[in-house]
Amino acid sequence: MNVLNRPRFQNALKALALLAMAIFLYTRLASGVLFFYINQRFMVYTVFAIVGLVMVALSYRPTSRRSESDEALHSHHQLGWAGLALVMAPIVLGLLVPPQPLGAAAMQNREIDVATQTRSALPAAVRAAAQKDARERNLLDWLHAFAASPNPAQEFAGQPVDVVGFIYHDERLGDNEVLVNRFVVSCCVADAGVVSMIVRWPDAASLPDDTWVQVKGVLQPGEFNGRAVPIVVAQEVIPTALPHQPYLYR
Amino acid sequence: MIVERSKASSPSLPGAADRRVRLIRWGLTLLVVVAAFGAIFSDALRGGGAPYLYQRIQTFVTIFLGIFIEAVPFLVAGSIVSGLIAVFVDQSAIDRYLPKAALPAALVGSGMGLIFPVCECGVVPVVRRLYEKGLPLSIGIAFLLAAPVINPIVILSTYTAFGWGPVFVGRIVFSFLIAAAVGFLFGRARPEEVLRPAICQVHDDEEPYHTHEHAHHHAHDHSHHLPDAALGLRFRQALNLAGDDFFDMARYLILGSMLAAGMQTLVPQSALLAIGQGPVISVLAMQVLAFVLSVCSTVDAFLALAFAGTFTTGSVLAFLVFGPMVDIKSSLMFLGVFQRRIVVYLIALPMLLALLMGVWWNLNLRW
Repeated sequence: MNVLNRPRFQNALKALALLAMAIFLYTRLASGVLFFYINQRFMVYTVFAIVGLVMVALSYRPTSRRSESDEALHSHHQLGWAGLALVMAPIVLGLLVPPQPLGAAAMQNREIDVATQTRSALPAAVRAAAQKDARERNLLDWLHAFAASPNPAQEFAGQPVDVVGFIYHDERLGDNEVLVNRFVVSCCVADAGVVSMIVRWPDAASLPDDTWVQVKGVLQPGEFNGRAVPIVVAQEVIPTALPHQPYLYR
Repeated sequence: MIVERSKASSPSLPGAADRRVRLIRWGLTLLVVVAAFGAIFSDALRGGGAPYLYQRIQTFVTIFLGIFIEAVPFLVAGSIVSGLIAVFVDQSAIDRYLPKAALPAALVGSGMGLIFPVCECGVVPVVRRLYEKGLPLSIGIAFLLAAPVINPIVILSTYTAFGWGPVFVGRIVFSFLIAAAVGFLFGRARPEEVLRPAICQVHDDEEPYHTHEHAHHHAHDHSHHLPDAALGLRFRQALNLAGDDFFDMARYLILGSMLAAGMQTLVPQSALLAIGQGPVISVLAMQVLAFVLSVCSTVDAFLALAFAGTFTTGSVLAFLVFGPMVDIKSSLMFLGVFQRRIVVYLIALPMLLALLMGVWWNLNLRW
């Protein structure tokens, strides 16, 4: 009999694998990296998963009374090496590849939304965005506000903007223009969409992709892909640290 | 596939054939993983060297972990419920209270999510355990397909996103009907034609060879109902079974998340969305998108909202009806319950019915 198939070894292996998973999730939570992956309002589910995994892991502990463990706790799923490797894959990949939020690389195969989408936002979110003071609005608030307007390029001209996002150079933009972006997540990064504003800044070319910046400026009518959109004429572009929560939430 | 249940190696299968089957499964698994990585690599090499490749891998890992971490709590919950069912639910209760005739069974199955709110990751281990307890096929399949939509949480999130209107009503009505229809179609099938052998053997008590060591093993394994045992021990056994379920299902979830993340990293959404606006093509495109994205049903309504302005209503509805029923990760998880042939039906039938619904909607209704 393969050593792997001994019941005691199996139980120990399963318990350790479950505990490893729980610890992995806990470290993601404790370090804040969790927000690179899921919407913050789902954090409570992760806490639940950690508690559940630990509970299940503890149920595999050896019993003092042998007869009971033999009679009732005999389990019938054999965990093989390959199965173990697969279950450990998230942990291994998570530790091997340094965690990074979605960035410029993920933008290359996504629709870029610079106020070209209309009537697609939650009415409540649009109303909330409209009530915010211009300087308080984040990228998503601005896009909501643009979506609610029939002619955003003209309507918002002259309003002050103060937003945070990461840099992405799109081929369709001029030399002194760059996209400043945030990913928007409802559930997890699988459903991430991106919201962007075009920023005009003389040194735009000097900012590498994925640099996080705070942009202060004024909205002016501009053009993207042949459509009139509001663009930000920057007065200040300040490099900033990666925000604690890199995504905005729908 | 890899975690072998001891009873999967049934006595009728000689050792050599068993080994060959195992080898094939190994090979297939390896192929999927290599294909996912290979695709990323080849694309990256064309695109411009090592830094680009590294970014691709990083994006892949982020999306993979995103899907996995989002789904894991629901899988843990589903496994624990499944373990509790195994230990505390009496088989005779299912026989007594649930309908067996195909039509009522399918309708009850479609509505069961209202009482047991589970999403597409949690529902699979629960259904498998209920099948072990002798649940009629129609109920289980209708429940499996409908539960991710017909449950209070998803109904609320759909209402939040779309408000009271054709999309909200259409999603609920058509999810209910399509799930019931597929469940109904399986009403005449016998469990051993549909379920994996390990699951339908369990309640096959007529099996004549009780003296056979292996058969004895089965009977012993699944007499989880221990009325005499102390409550603490029974809870512990429920958690034990939950752990086994978790391992059994997690590998499908992980493979599915990897595939979905690979697709997301490689297939440009814009290409899919650019395919068309026609009444038929748009529906197909949104179905493929739903399958590929593998987004949790509790929030896909918010995602669909982004397409509502530019896509036909029928196609948005197809996204909302078909996506929760079947996507990459859930169809892989189906493999833990059903025979491979049946999994193909379980993907194809909802796909066709949702396509018909979407096209019909586009051609006949103007919203």
